[in-house]
Amino acid sequence: MARRLLPLLLCLGALLLPARECLAELVVIANAKSGVERLGREEVVNIFLGRFRQLPSGMTALPADLPAGSAEKEAFYRLLVNKDLADINAYWARLVFSGRTSPPRQMRGEADLLRFVSETPGAVGYLERAHLDSRVRVVFEFSAER
Amino acid sequence: MKTLPLGKGHSILYIAAVAVVSSAIGVGLIFIGITAWVTHERAQQQTSQRLGELLGTVESTASIACFVEDQALARELARGLLKNSEALAVVIRSNSGELASARRSGVGEIALARAAEARIRRPIVSPFNSALTVGEILLDPDPEAVERTVIEEVRFIGILLWLLLAALVSVIAFVMLRQIVRPIQGLSLQLHRMDAAAGDRLAIGRVDPGAELGGLVADVNALADQLVASLDDERKLRIQREFDEKKYRAIFDNAETGIFIARRDGVVESRNPALARLFELPAYLSVDSAGISLLTLPWQQPSSLPELLARCVDENLTLAADLEFLHGDGNTRWLNVVLSPIGDERVQGVVSNVTERRQAEDSARHQAVTDPLTGIANRPGLEQQLQAEMQHCTSGSENGFAFLLIDLDGFKRINDALGLPVGDSILKAASSRILSCLKDSDIVARMGGDEFAAILPRIDDEALAASVGERIVRALRRSYDGHGTPIQLGASIGITLFPGDGADLPTLLRNAELALDRAKASGGGRFSFFDPAMAETAERRRTLETDMQLALRRNEFKLFLQPVVDLSGKRVVGAEALIRWQHHEKGLIVPDAFIPLAEETGLIVDIGLWCLEEACLRLAEWQREGRDLYLSLNISARQIPEGLPPAVVLDAVRRHGVDASRLVLEITEGVLLADVGRSQSWLRELRESGFRIYLDDFGTGYSSLSYLKRFPVDTVKIDKSFIRDLNRNENDRALVEAIIAMARSLRLQVVAEGVEDAEQLAQLRQMGCNYIQGYHFSMPVCSADFAAAAESIARSFLPENA
Repeated sequence: MARRLLPLLLCLGALLLPARECLAELVVIANAKSGVERLGREEVVNIFLGRFRQLPSGMTALPADLPAGSAEKEAFYRLLVNKDLADINAYWARLVFSGRTSPPRQMRGEADLLRFVSETPGAVGYLERAHLDSRVRVVFEFSAER
Repeated sequence: MKTLPLGKGHSILYIAAVAVVSSAIGVGLIFIGITAWVTHERAQQQTSQRLGELLGTVESTASIACFVEDQALARELARGLLKNSEALAVVIRSNSGELASARRSGVGEIALARAAEARIRRPIVSPFNSALTVGEILLDPDPEAVERTVIEEVRFIGILLWLLLAALVSVIAFVMLRQIVRPIQGLSLQLHRMDAAAGDRLAIGRVDPGAELGGLVADVNALADQLVASLDDERKLRIQREFDEKKYRAIFDNAETGIFIARRDGVVESRNPALARLFELPAYLSVDSAGISLLTLPWQQPSSLPELLARCVDENLTLAADLEFLHGDGNTRWLNVVLSPIGDERVQGVVSNVTERRQAEDSARHQAVTDPLTGIANRPGLEQQLQAEMQHCTSGSENGFAFLLIDLDGFKRINDALGLPVGDSILKAASSRILSCLKDSDIVARMGGDEFAAILPRIDDEALAASVGERIVRALRRSYDGHGTPIQLGASIGITLFPGDGADLPTLLRNAELALDRAKASGGGRFSFFDPAMAETAERRRTLETDMQLALRRNEFKLFLQPVVDLSGKRVVGAEALIRWQHHEKGLIVPDAFIPLAEETGLIVDIGLWCLEEACLRLAEWQREGRDLYLSLNISARQIPEGLPPAVVLDAVRRHGVDASRLVLEITEGVLLADVGRSQSWLRELRESGFRIYLDDFGTGYSSLSYLKRFPVDTVKIDKSFIRDLNRNENDRALVEAIIAMARSLRLQVVAEGVEDAEQLAQLRQMGCNYIQGYHFSMPVCSADFAAAAESIARSFLPENA
């Protein structure tokens, strides 16, 4: 019982934290021509953490990160895999060693990211819903999962 | 328990060492086995644990490698794991297939297969989702690494154990050698040298006095003490025994009694010198010489001793017997032999010469059955002989025998008159005369007094017995020499024949007695055979006797009264009391039928007292009625003087208040004959007390006039036998006349008895006899009828009747 309860509480804590800090909602976006309408959470994880190199439509996936130190990036990974950025960086550090997989390309900011996603067919990124525009398509919403 | 001599067997030390070493090896091996197994298990566990921990350190990297299926990373990881010496092969798999595999180079397939058995499988989860398995690591540990550990461990333990064992054995050996083996060797050596009798004892030495060996030393010393003490006692006993032996040997050798030890077959094994003397053994036979058999000695009855020996041994009894031994001089000796069983089929015997005792006994036995006066058998002797003879007949060797009882008639009278010496010489003569009439095989005995008896074996018919009886009667009838004066005696003989006249001793004796009585009763000087009628008579007499005793109690006797009439006074002056017996079955019995028997048996005394009592009652009654009558009582010779003492008579009359002069006591001449002096004083005493004495039946006996002078009597009664023939017999009449005349001159009254008719009465009256008793006046009547009878008599004197 305790074992089951513990992750549940952790989850609840994790959910409450961004809800308070990030009133602005984070969404995952993709190029409109990517051929992808919706993505599952697992799919988002696999794409952003290097496991899948292709989108479900068969297009090569090009994940894009917000710059290091941005609150959105930290919130994104927290929401997605409940890890802080240090963890994520350590993760990538090991993979980079083998040279076969590389981490998402680093954007300069949300505008940069929006642009990259809207221009690059296989690109996938994330940003606040408030910064969203019509050039990109929302494929995953954290709020929708609630 | 078998003890091995030192040196040959295994020493305690060796045995202890072997036991300790072998048990230690056994235990060590088991211990090593257990250690190996436990170590193996633990090493394997530790290896698994260490490898598990190793896997833990690479888990996150493996997780990433599997998550992104990065073969390069996986390969790097596998190589890293193999760096651990305990890992033999590593495989890293993702969900879609093997990412990397590595194995230690130079390892055979067999080792790999063995390692695969202990394979550690670690599932790998996603770095981002712990619920998601993304692959696994398979790690095969190196078994040799485990074994190496085990071997090292076991070797270490083994070395420790062997060290321990060596130390243990050394210590035990040292302790045993010092505390047990050496002390025991020392004690053993001491014991070998020790002389317990000389007072040597085990020294405690280095042995701890409180420990077991100390106890053993103390025990051995105590045992030595005990043994020495026992030996001491034994020696003292032996000395005592030797002393005793010498003492008893002296007694044995010097005893007058023969002592021996013999076997059951009579062979003497040991004997003393006295025995040789008793048995007249040759002098050259030494005391210790064996082989003389008691049975070959000249015994009178050779079978007695073997029987005695056999019984003594077989029944384990001490037995004694007198045995007759034939002496060298031709005489016999009586030897008393006492045999006691001493076990082992042997007897101890004591022999003594008892010849003198036997002779004394024989003589005593002979005397016991012999009459000293005549030298013939006495009554006990006769009874013995009779018994023997009867036995003889019943056993069938003879048909029967005759038994005679012989009595000398009138011997008592002679003895009284002439004295004992004459009597004795007559008895001696009689016994030799009887003997001369008989065969040697006949037996003669003196039964006591003047009675003899004879047993005539094989004479079983009356004719033969009669001839012998006749012979004896004749022989005894010849006159005897009474110191110069010839003495005449007769003999009566009663003869019985066995077994017809009595099959047992008492019966035969009694019947002979009866036959003798018959012979005597028939006048003596004759023999008489027993016949059953005698026994019947005797039986009748016995019945009568019993009946008489009963009659007194049942009051069956009656006193009848016959009046005595005074002719001059013409009246009844008194009466004679006559006893009658009204038997409850047989009716009236006359006095003649029972008085003689009553006199014989002495019952007359009781009857006499009853009569006295009854007479006094009657007299008292008459006295009350004013009748002037006397009553006379017949007194038997047996009643005088003790049967009816004067004091008793006097007491009776006093009690009833009767005047003594009214009671008359009638006695016969016989009374006066029996014991002159005592009868005289009895008579005198009574007369002086006032009683009158009548002399009854006068004329029938000696009628000695001197008696009349010597005895103070008042009246004589002429016997009825003279009165009866008074009319017809001149002699009788002369006698009666003489008696009356004599009485008158002596101033005695005369009573005539049995006067039956008037003629007799007339004659008596004419002779001057005034007192008449008889049927002419009255029969004896019962007391109730007496008054009437007296009245009738008085009437007869009235003028019209006279």
